[in-house]
Amino acid sequence: MLFEDNNFDINLSMFMPDLGLSRNPNILDPNEGFLRGNMFRNEYVPYKNLTYFKLNPRNEKEKLLYRIMALSFAINDLNLYLDLHPDNKDMFELFKKYVVEKKELSAKYNKTYGPLTVTKDVGTKYDWLNSPWPWDNMGGGMYV
Amino acid sequence: MFKYVKHLNYPVNIHKKDLRMAKYLLSQFGGSNSELAAALRYFSQKFNMPDDYGKALLNDIATEELGHCEMIATMVHQLTKDATVKEMEEAGLGGVYTEHGKGTYPTDANGVPFTASYFAVTGDPLADISEDMAAEQKARAIYENLIDLAEDEDVIRVLLFLRQREVIHFNRFKELYEYYQKKGYEKN
Repeated sequence: MLFEDNNFDINLSMFMPDLGLSRNPNILDPNEGFLRGNMFRNEYVPYKNLTYFKLNPRNEKEKLLYRIMALSFAINDLNLYLDLHPDNKDMFELFKKYVVEKKELSAKYNKTYGPLTVTKDVGTKYDWLNSPWPWDNMGGGMYV
Repeated sequence: MFKYVKHLNYPVNIHKKDLRMAKYLLSQFGGSNSELAAALRYFSQKFNMPDDYGKALLNDIATEELGHCEMIATMVHQLTKDATVKEMEEAGLGGVYTEHGKGTYPTDANGVPFTASYFAVTGDPLADISEDMAAEQKARAIYENLIDLAEDEDVIRVLLFLRQREVIHFNRFKELYEYYQKKGYEKN
């Protein structure tokens, strides 16, 4: 059916190694959680026989942005869980781990490809306004 | 305070013009069960939540929903931007072109403009949160209708993502509802 032939392979070596935290098997990796639309395995409810699409970043810029978006998604989903379970230490540790990784990768992205937030625009010229904007799909990266 | 991040919540990159689908997708931009209704509903209700669990959850889900509005409007924009006036007219979008040109305006799939009467703020946390649970279920059902109508994988993958978010939000609201019921929170 859908997407089975869509090979997804992202080079994980560019990302931070796992810090050896005790991992809850119910929590998905951010890359997979992002594709599914949720980080918690037991809450994933596919529609009919449709599962989820895999994304194929075409270049280094897209790979980096893909990971930043996946981390941003994971942080948001854990954020909602922590709002109701602020004392869950393991979840909070995982949350912090993703926050650190996202911060590092965002800094790298901002430096190489331009700012993702306006206050990161501290280069030699003001380039916050430059396309592509996220709703454009011409001439820009696939994932913006 | 809000801070804009220059990427979507999930990628939208549609290459194929599809006016029929654009018309249907407007439902999730400005319809009664839309992302816009969800964002404004939780944003408005958060001010009267009785404790930090509710304030945090409604605040954070409202923020995410605003990101989903941007995704839906992006889909509509990408599906229509290359259309000619004649094509829009043939797809039943002559009225939309008359009122909005190629602009993206929040209406439902039948062209009815968005209104705040699509959601309630009652001052009663249990009433508000049970509306939120229903809203997530209705939005999930609308996404399933849209997936049934869609033909392009570029569209379907985004709809599957958004549908799953409705499932998660429902679960979070349900948990909050059950907790508030136990706490015995009433109108304040």
